[in-house]
Amino acid sequence: MAEREQGVLGTPVTRRRMLQGSTLAGIAAFLAACGTSATSPSAEPTAAPTPASSAPPASTAPSPTQEPTPAQTPSAELNWANWTYYIDVDENDPNKHPTLDRFKEKHGTTVKYQEVVDDNDSFFGTIKDALRGGQDTGWDIVTLTDWMAIRLVRLGWLERFDKANMPNFTANLKDRFRSRSWDPGNDYAAPWQSGMTGLGYDEAVTGPLTSVKALFADDPRWRGKVEYLTEMRDTIGLTMISLGLDPAKPDRAGCDAAIGVLKAAQDAGIVRDVKGNSYAEDLKSGDAVLAMAWSGDMMQAVIEKEGLRFAIPDEGGIIWTDNCLIPKGAAHKFTAELAIDFYYDPENAADVELYVYYLSPVKGADEVMLQKVPEIKDDPIAFPPSEVQARLVDFGALSEDDEKYFNDQFASVLGVG
Amino acid sequence: MATAAATLRHAQQPAAVRAWRWFRANVLFLYTGFAVLYLMLPVLVITLFSFNDPAGRSNFVWQGFTLDYWLDPLGVAGLGDAVVLSLEIAFLSTLVATILGTLIALALVRYGFRGRGATNMLIALPMATPEIVLGASLLTMFVAIGRPPFFPLSFFTILIAHIMFNISYVVVTVRARLAGFPRHLEEAAMDLGANEWTTFWKVTFPLIFPGIMAAALLAFSLSIDDFVITNFTSGKTQTFPMYIYAKSRIGIPVQVNVIGTLIFVIAVGSVLISTLAQRRDRAA
Amino acid sequence: MGAFLRRNRRLVPYLLLAPGLLWLLVFYVYPGFQMLITSFWSGSLEKGFTFSLDNWTNYTAALSRFQGYYVRSIGYSAAATILTFLIAYPLAYAIAFKGGRAKNLLLFLVVAPFFTSFLLRTISWKIILGDSGIVFGPLKDLGFLSEDFRVLATPVAVVSGLTYDFLPFMTLPIYVALEKVDKRLVEAAQDLYAGPWRRGGTIAGIVLGGGLGLLLGQIFGYWPPFLAVGGALAGAIIGALFISESFVRVTFPLSLPGVFAGSLLTFIPSMGDYINAEFLGNPDTRMIGNVIQNRFLTQTDYPTAAALSFILMAGMLAAVAVYARALGTEELTTGRV
Repeated sequence: MAEREQGVLGTPVTRRRMLQGSTLAGIAAFLAACGTSATSPSAEPTAAPTPASSAPPASTAPSPTQEPTPAQTPSAELNWANWTYYIDVDENDPNKHPTLDRFKEKHGTTVKYQEVVDDNDSFFGTIKDALRGGQDTGWDIVTLTDWMAIRLVRLGWLERFDKANMPNFTANLKDRFRSRSWDPGNDYAAPWQSGMTGLGYDEAVTGPLTSVKALFADDPRWRGKVEYLTEMRDTIGLTMISLGLDPAKPDRAGCDAAIGVLKAAQDAGIVRDVKGNSYAEDLKSGDAVLAMAWSGDMMQAVIEKEGLRFAIPDEGGIIWTDNCLIPKGAAHKFTAELAIDFYYDPENAADVELYVYYLSPVKGADEVMLQKVPEIKDDPIAFPPSEVQARLVDFGALSEDDEKYFNDQFASVLGVG
Repeated sequence: MATAAATLRHAQQPAAVRAWRWFRANVLFLYTGFAVLYLMLPVLVITLFSFNDPAGRSNFVWQGFTLDYWLDPLGVAGLGDAVVLSLEIAFLSTLVATILGTLIALALVRYGFRGRGATNMLIALPMATPEIVLGASLLTMFVAIGRPPFFPLSFFTILIAHIMFNISYVVVTVRARLAGFPRHLEEAAMDLGANEWTTFWKVTFPLIFPGIMAAALLAFSLSIDDFVITNFTSGKTQTFPMYIYAKSRIGIPVQVNVIGTLIFVIAVGSVLISTLAQRRDRAA
Repeated sequence: MGAFLRRNRRLVPYLLLAPGLLWLLVFYVYPGFQMLITSFWSGSLEKGFTFSLDNWTNYTAALSRFQGYYVRSIGYSAAATILTFLIAYPLAYAIAFKGGRAKNLLLFLVVAPFFTSFLLRTISWKIILGDSGIVFGPLKDLGFLSEDFRVLATPVAVVSGLTYDFLPFMTLPIYVALEKVDKRLVEAAQDLYAGPWRRGGTIAGIVLGGGLGLLLGQIFGYWPPFLAVGGALAGAIIGALFISESFVRVTFPLSLPGVFAGSLLTFIPSMGDYINAEFLGNPDTRMIGNVIQNRFLTQTDYPTAAALSFILMAGMLAAVAVYARALGTEELTTGRV
């Protein structure tokens, strides 16, 4: 009594079935066409932000004249997306962050702090569709690097700060950040930390390293165990430095030259992988012995594994800044402003700094740090000597077309181009 | 006499030949043992490292035995929420997908209807589509319909996505079971006077129930395990796999291993219990 | 209710189908067409996208630039599917024919690893296969392997990861098919074709084993002849000594629908995978899934990404249609008895 077993897919695909299938498809196409009008692109980068949708009582819709809205209360929750190793941590409990607890005592807000930013592009990928659709991304503060902040400002996807709620920020922001061409009034981006990109290596295996060219050298000590960063500007920047080019003035010729060097190193089998934050894991496990690294990460990695070192190459290194941004449509804008402002109090900024060992944008934080931990003034990572600081270069701003070109070329280094 | 001689001859053969014969006879058992070991190896590693006591954030070198993390499995921020969320979504999506899928399977196997080929194609398509495409296309759609916030990226968007991809797997699994179904039992029941409804619930359903359970089990494990599609449709909400992915960059907390092991143990335990219960029912 | 159903008998199947199919229509087909429309866009995120049928060039551009990735993905997925088949078939066979009381337990053990996150399992493999990890550390210390040897960040690790991930997907369908095989057929066959398939087995083993060795050598980048000879040898041994003729003539053909289903359920998801390539591989082992992810999320180059996705999907569908036709699963299962 063998039932007619239909097999996995059922009846074989005959022309008749194809036709039936396409009728079905046609109906779907009609539905899709109806929906398309709703999705036709409307990137309206507006200079004056339009009021955010669905604002719950605790937050405020930015008004064009920036009048401080009266009588707002901090919300019960605040959602903050940040990079790893970027905030102070309780010695006994890695999940507790003393400054966030102090913020809670002061304002009653529980900060849901999540270290989900691994690299700017992939994080942007998780929020861009909500922003394009004018929806709440779910985040109140996101901490992203300069160039991503520039893009978000250009797209009009950030809330404008209500400075009346941010007295510390207004007073204590270091001068070098006060007239950035893309945010002259400091209305959209509040610097969180600045950091350096240089060499991270295991001295026990590689010996002391001082030249950026080590990254591209076919040395048996580190062949096959070198890692580059997925951050295009860091990787191409350091490569340009090794070629004697200036990353502050990036052009397509420089890009091509850098890509050539990177691909050559990859083809020669020198490179193990190209990664985001996780290069630190590989340095710790010994799977990698030399990497393009971020200064703060290396401070913590050094503690975990004997022999790891960080150095800014003699030829130069890259300096970059991450900024706190409030995405458009954030549910708790007011509280976000309070939080950003909280960290512009030198005390709180110093507490964070003593953990992350990056460079603080807050005036007075350095002095507080030195008071609390005087030995720090000799630490080259927390307080890089001036000759090191002189070697640090900011990667220049790219036009939208150039950015596309650079990213497209870089995709081949990532292995996806 | 012939057998005695044969046995004698057999016993007189060199040990090597006997060993070979034994090996050939039992090769499948041995192989199964190794295969199961291979399958379980990562699970064993996960369990082992849940007892590790790492000095720093990274948990990949054995540094010492401790029960600390077992005593405080949810001690990491965000982990408890992620796990609960994953369980809720898995349970709900399994429920809905199993119902919808079983209905389709019943229709396909037992009835003739027009549009059969198209239906088969529609069901096979999600399985033929890479997860990344499923996820990305869903995301664009959710946002497109999104004004006013009709489908905010959240629990519900994840749930919808999970139900969608589970339906096909349920259909295929239940179909495989239904195909060999003894229709004559149903006919007998109806001859005896039962109407279709009663026949279905008293005769058909209990018999296909194991198949439905198998499908539900598959759907549940697919849902709880899903990363790619969830990544695209969740926005900020974190399920357990997404939590792991985020943490894999900087160091997975030992508690994640603990939870992973717990989930495994609970699943094994519940299947064992239900099997034993079934056996007792049958004996009784 | 019963009366309504009896009167409108013809409606019943449609009623049963409706809810599920509707769900799939709205949440699978419609987004799929959204994706198709997107692939005909041109422009950028900032300047805006416009739809135009002239943008069919997106497809040609995408293919010419990224065809290598499709080839590589096919290679890895094919290797993984074959390896999974080789591991799963004897396992399924053992459970179906020798499982006895332990059948359900064994099946559960096969599926059990799924109850831990697949990310955790992939990361476990990263730990296990680490350069100085549990497996290779001692081997290197003992001098069996050179310090430079590594499995991680090579195609071997990626394919191994893929193979492991899809083992249950291959085992279960084969098991289901084998279990349905009428044992009397097998007994009859064993009476007819007693004994191991000596000559045929050796030849088949050499050919198949050698071929597999060549393929894997090509994909992994190891010297093919070495692997081919090894494969041929292993194939010959297995074919000559462990395969019985009754198996080849009766059992195996009857299990083909299961093999087909399992292969599809392994090959297709494996084509779109990007986690294994990301965690266990290096930039030279990236698959088409990684490219699509990069184009969507990093480059926000939606048109190209959508075109790539569509090509992938179309390829899958075509392969599935051809395979179904060629294998003719209908004939095989309408029972030769």
